[in-house]
Amino acid sequence: MADLLRKEFKLALHPTAIIFLALSAMMLIPNYPYYVIFFYTGLAVFFICLSARENNDVVFSMMLPTEKGEIVKARILMAVLLETAQLVIAVPFAVIRQNMDMPGNQAGMDANISLFGLSLIMLGIFNYSFFRAYYKDIKKVGTAFVKASTLVFVYMAIAETCDHAVPFFKNVLDTPDPMYITHKLIVLAVGIAVFVVLTLAVCRKAAESFEGSDIQM
Amino acid sequence: MSSFNSEPASVLDVRGLYKKYPAFELKDVSFSLERGKITGFIGRNGAGKSTTLNSLFNFVHPDSGDIEFFGENFSDSEFDIKKRVGFVAGGIDYYKNKKIKTITAVTKRFYESWDDAAYKSYINEFAIDEEKTPGQLSAGMKVKYALALALSHNAELLIMDEPTSGLDPVSRDELLDDFMALCDRGITILFSTHITSDLDKCADDIIYIQNGKIIAETGMDSFVDSFRLLKMDEEPSEGGWVTGHARGIKRMRKGYTVLLGTEDAESPDASANGTIEKADLEDIMIHLEKGGRNNG
Repeated sequence: MADLLRKEFKLALHPTAIIFLALSAMMLIPNYPYYVIFFYTGLAVFFICLSARENNDVVFSMMLPTEKGEIVKARILMAVLLETAQLVIAVPFAVIRQNMDMPGNQAGMDANISLFGLSLIMLGIFNYSFFRAYYKDIKKVGTAFVKASTLVFVYMAIAETCDHAVPFFKNVLDTPDPMYITHKLIVLAVGIAVFVVLTLAVCRKAAESFEGSDIQM
Repeated sequence: MSSFNSEPASVLDVRGLYKKYPAFELKDVSFSLERGKITGFIGRNGAGKSTTLNSLFNFVHPDSGDIEFFGENFSDSEFDIKKRVGFVAGGIDYYKNKKIKTITAVTKRFYESWDDAAYKSYINEFAIDEEKTPGQLSAGMKVKYALALALSHNAELLIMDEPTSGLDPVSRDELLDDFMALCDRGITILFSTHITSDLDKCADDIIYIQNGKIIAETGMDSFVDSFRLLKMDEEPSEGGWVTGHARGIKRMRKGYTVLLGTEDAESPDASANGTIEKADLEDIMIHLEKGGRNNG
């Protein structure tokens, strides 16, 4: 797996993935729907898979002493590492935003712990939806991205609507840290759990469907 | 972990491979490869060469059939088998814009048996510039780079899908020379081609596939020797001796040529209809593909 992961970063990684990581700094924008920042990693994953298709990555990988399921796991692990990096890099910017001498985010959820928990759920949904569709037919990477990004935007719309319409979101979750810290840490824990469960589930299902598919060259 | 202690004479055994597509079908494809020989896998475009080769490495899943490398079932020992086999599928069309040295650096980590000195030696021998990308290499150099990669992990069996396709005659000849040199060192080679002169030059054995079915698996010389060409001035008559025994009939600018089995060609009926000549592989392939009917 370490060798396959190395292959992912040395050959398959699209340069925009690194550039998008820097967009975690958008957390400094005073009023902005911060969920969008984490969607950029999804876009990077799409570019990686698109570029992999154009570079016949699967043919190259299949000729190496690997198993098909391992190829799938390495790609998903790379996506998880990029997503984690995007979240971790965003943390100091979120702290800076919280300490700015101005009101909280007027465009949506504040840059707080809840945002990270809810964003992890969003990334879990992206991973499940994208990789499930992608590994059914790796030629149709655009279809997989349309499905996944549609779900993500619906999730974002619901989350931001809740922020305005649901008192618990508005009064408890959308507050500066460390207010309601217990509630927020629970949301973060749920976010991590959902992300892990959905990503592990898609790892298994995608490996199964890829294992059974014919590779057309 | 599988054990490869006992070495069977056959390095690859394929038995009863079936694969059905809406417009094409592999039917009971069976063959085996003898250690240290060059085997040409021949057939016209669309005959099933690539589908068969892609089935060997699990790119395509056969509906049924058994594939054994070195006496081990592929699905049970995929990881170990891939370490001993160099598979070149459809040319080197991957990562065209990455430097050769980067691709090599990634590849070599997958093989415990990687031999850096051998790799450097092949890179020098084939005059491959590691600073270049596959996109900057000629078709011939791409195949040679694939060979260098396979040989540097001490592959015992090389399987290549149309490696000579798109090569100029000189590059093709050089590549075939390389194949023969590798064969002398005990490496087994299976390569598909529709260029019959490739096989005339270097193949020990031949596997002929037609419409998804293997119609011959034999030594190259005995295959060629099992046919003769009958040259006739007139079109063979319907229901006559010639059309009854023809394996293929082809119209020429002057007259007709008829492919006959060697035994039939020795009959007085054959010599009564024209002159008998030896057939080469191209004659055999063209006539077999045309069949017994006159297709002009």
